[in-house]
Amino acid sequence: MKKGVLFAIAALVSAAMAAPATAATGQRIKITGEIIDTWCYITEIMYAEGTAHHQCAMWCAAGGIPVGILADDGQVYMVLKLEGDATSVANPAILKIQTHRVTVDGEVYERDGIQYLVVNQVVDDSGIVKQTHEDYGIQPFGN
Amino acid sequence: MTYFKTLLTAMSFLVALNGATHAAEEWGLPDEKVTRFEAKVVDILCELTGDCPKACGAGKRQLGLLNDANKLILPTKNSVIFAGAAAELIDFCNEKVIADGLLTTNRGHTIFALQFVRKAPDGPWRGANRFLPKWAAANGVDPKSDTVEEWYLHDPAIKAELAANGKLGLGLAADKEYEARQ
Repeated sequence: MKKGVLFAIAALVSAAMAAPATAATGQRIKITGEIIDTWCYITEIMYAEGTAHHQCAMWCAAGGIPVGILADDGQVYMVLKLEGDATSVANPAILKIQTHRVTVDGEVYERDGIQYLVVNQVVDDSGIVKQTHEDYGIQPFGN
Repeated sequence: MTYFKTLLTAMSFLVALNGATHAAEEWGLPDEKVTRFEAKVVDILCELTGDCPKACGAGKRQLGLLNDANKLILPTKNSVIFAGAAAELIDFCNEKVIADGLLTTNRGHTIFALQFVRKAPDGPWRGANRFLPKWAAANGVDPKSDTVEEWYLHDPAIKAELAANGKLGLGLAADKEYEARQ
């Protein structure tokens, strides 16, 4: 009994130490845009939108680089959770919709200049609509 | 494309060094700053929402670097081609580390490329290339084989998706038609 109580206290202390002091409530948001690889897009090391970058975006998502949504207003939202699935490193469900134009409902959390997004629901998925390969080839190797 | 070639060369060099040195290299990124700082490795979703599983999600979640000024820095990249930083930082979940790498600011965002990391204050330096042996172990591949360096060409999940929908994502017929014109 004593051991059980001590274990429970230790578990609570451990959880309290791990939990953040600054957790906040997200702001409800509806966004329409393209699922992108954030590294290539933000750094502009190559052209990183649409079909030209689809293969590279798959590589980067599978490699654990954060996936984002490039909204129509140019804002990038880092996806942390997708329809209840908190896997944001190499999530197979995200690979399925990479480069798609989607509309999502969720909560956004702004922190130190980055918009982080919890997607509650993908309300529309138009598939890949931005055809850029004729202008930019297949990034980054050309094949 | 020039940026990408420079980056590829620099990253290959870093992987070859395998942590033998620990000073970040410039990659020619926009508004790039070689940076070394102390920070706590945190599960970003936990930090923002209070949803905090054990062990920072055991490698399935993006990890952040919370510095001493309580600023959350997003490590987006490691030293391995097409790979992110979570595989490098997960071993330090909720611990303080010294992170060495590049801050780059472009398109209104500042993100971090991790090149070296060590447990604070004076743990041994690691090159940010643990992704490769972890990928090899997860996929039953000899970590010393050439396959590992080109992991992205051999990853089963990627191969399955590309086999189904093509490099352009528009279906195999679209790839074939495009390639025939090149």
